[in-house]
Parts: sequence; structure tokens; C-alpha cells
Amino acid sequence: MNYLQAYAISGAGMAVEKARVDLIAVNLANAHSTRSADGGTFRPLRLVSAAGAADFPALLAGALRGPEVVEVRPLDTPPRLAYEPGHPDADAKGFVAYPGIQPAAEMILMLTATRAYEANVAALNAAKSMALRSLEIGS
Amino acid sequence: MAADPVSFLPALRPIDAQPAAGLAAAGGQAAATTDFGSWLAQSLDGVNRQLAQADRGLQSLATGEAQNLHQVMIAMEEARIGMQLIVQVRNRLLDAYQEILRMQV
Repeated sequence: MNYLQAYAISGAGMAVEKARVDLIAVNLANAHSTRSADGGTFRPLRLVSAAGAADFPALLAGALRGPEVVEVRPLDTPPRLAYEPGHPDADAKGFVAYPGIQPAAEMILMLTATRAYEANVAALNAAKSMALRSLEIGS
Repeated sequence: MAADPVSFLPALRPIDAQPAAGLAAAGGQAAATTDFGSWLAQSLDGVNRQLAQADRGLQSLATGEAQNLHQVMIAMEEARIGMQLIVQVRNRLLDAYQEILRMQV
């Protein structure tokens, strides 16, 4: 059913923005982690999304697709070095490597992701009210 | 204008298949493959499936299995729109039926 296409597209957009906020939450929560699972310092993660590629039958039918998550990529920001000689993870000179996370930048990204989610909800509501309005034709 | 009266009404298909085939042949159209009754049954089946899907979504939400909230909400909205569409079809159908019932013979 074609009138449900807007629902699927907005739903895909919401899923992407939710995944983005999840990653930002991971970054903020790990702002003071001095180790990571692979041994080095934790690197802030960024979500890469792309416009979804339709498969061939969908292309033939002219179907539109929402965005999708392509990959989660760690950023190459240098770790923030703090002088804490008593810290268990301090190096020989007494410096502890904290992840290079900028809380202000993360908060701005979180705000834009939240607003984008809201925009998807607004688009879905517009499609819904159009469909409901069309049911009033003739009554 | 000597228009064929049948070709004016391409969407009007009788529920009975045999007269429809005759009419379509007279109008030079291809015979309809589905009648209204089977279309209605199909739509009802689709709405029923949507309702069941919304129900499953709510269950998975209640049991904590749902991955994200918006998919459940979208499934519920789809079921609601489908339900309202089928209710409107039913209203129009009953209106037409009562209109015919009130007809003076």
C-alpha cells in the first residue's frame, strides 16, 4: 500500500537519529574512561548514515527509501592528557590519557539529532493527517 | 455525441462476474479479474494482519523485547488508518444498500 510509504521512510529516519543519539550517549558516558576494550584510549564514535539504496524491483516500482546506518566510525581525535601522577593508568611521566571528547560538540550533535527526530515525527504526522483527511471525502 | 454509455463508467463493475464480462465485452474493455467481494475480503485480511502486528508490537514492548518505540507506534498508526479506511468502505456500502432498499418499485 503506497500511502504507508511515508511511514516507512519517516520510521527509517527516526531509527537513524535514535542510533545517532545512542552513540552520543556512549561518547558522553565514556568521557572519563581511561581504557577501552582494545587496549588504547576510547575514541569518540560517529555514526555515518546514507540515503538508502533501493534494490532493483523497488527501483522499477519507483519506491522511495529512507536513510540507513552505514557504519560507526571512531574519530581520530588525539587523547586529552591530564597530569595525575597517582592515577593507576598514568604513564611514566604521570599523564593520564582521557578520550578526546568535546562535551559541547556532543551536546550540539545531540540537539540536532533530537530535532531531526522531531522533524521525522512531524512528517509522519503530516502524512497521517493527509490520509485521515482523505477518508473524509464525500462525508 | 454518440458515446458508448458503458465506456462512461469504467469503474462500475457489477459484483456478479458473468454480467461484468458481458458489459466489458460490449464496452470493448478487458474483463475485470477481481470483483468487489474478493477485494473487500483481501482488504479485511490486510487490516486484520495490521491489527495483529500492532498487537504483537505492544506485546514485545510490554515484555521488553522491542528494539525501539517508534516502530511500535508506527505499526499502531498503520493499523488505525487501515481500520478507519475499512470502516469508511463499510459506511459507504451500507449507505448504498439502504438507498437501494428505499427505492420505489
